[in-house]
Amino acid sequence: MAQAAVADDVFYALSNSTRRKVLEQLSAGPATVSELAAPFDMKLPSFVQHLSVLEQSRLVKSKKRGRVRTYEIAPERFKVAEDWLAARRRLWEARFDRFDAYVKQLKEKESES
Amino acid sequence: MTEQLTINPKLDFVIERFIDAPARLVWDALTKPEHLKEWYMPKAWGRVARAEMDVRPGGIFSIDIATGDGREVPNLGCFLDVIPMERLVWTSMLFPGYRPAVFDDIPITAIVTMESVGSGTRYVFTALHRDEADFEKNMESGWRKGTEIATDQLVEHVMSMK
Repeated sequence: MAQAAVADDVFYALSNSTRRKVLEQLSAGPATVSELAAPFDMKLPSFVQHLSVLEQSRLVKSKKRGRVRTYEIAPERFKVAEDWLAARRRLWEARFDRFDAYVKQLKEKESES
Repeated sequence: MTEQLTINPKLDFVIERFIDAPARLVWDALTKPEHLKEWYMPKAWGRVARAEMDVRPGGIFSIDIATGDGREVPNLGCFLDVIPMERLVWTSMLFPGYRPAVFDDIPITAIVTMESVGSGTRYVFTALHRDEADFEKNMESGWRKGTEIATDQLVEHVMSMK
């Protein structure tokens, strides 16, 4: 899949508060579907659709043992969001650094004259 | 794929309407996000928060609905068969790109057919279920009622597109 499409999937998956809460819960360790659903007042099929969006974005992965499906965090895809944000931050910080240097230069010029 | 579908009344939910509008408008109402937003969610229950349609086999079917309390719930699937103005098939058993989906849910495969009759269109929506347990759950939960209300809203919306 193209990198842009991957980022689309990741940011879409992160765009919903129910899904972010699931990721917060999974950060503490793997959990079953019913454990994940318990804090939410939501019908199971609706809740499971959120899990399927997370799974489609590959921010989580699941495995089934017997009748119980367990979800866990898949850290690799978190880097897609992290890298995108970090690149924006680097640009802004570099810009602020240049601004800072320029103001200093102006100040020095002023004190010379 | 135009073979006749064999309906199993224990597994398949069928809803049929005659819409007094050309199939072209019905097709647009079914496939364009700006139209889906007008009818897909029963108005008394909430609204469509987001829709993305890539109407080709393997393309994404994605409609997020928002309930009255502001909660958003996704519906995610994959188109299987697309014949413009005739037939549209998608399933929630697969993720977009035919990737096998993983979940414990009540998946459906939806088959929509449109047939021109005089100046109007015969619209048939069929939802195939895995087994009788899934079918019964969908009949008893809000799914059936929601689908019926949405279909009435579809007819009304298509008429307003004329």
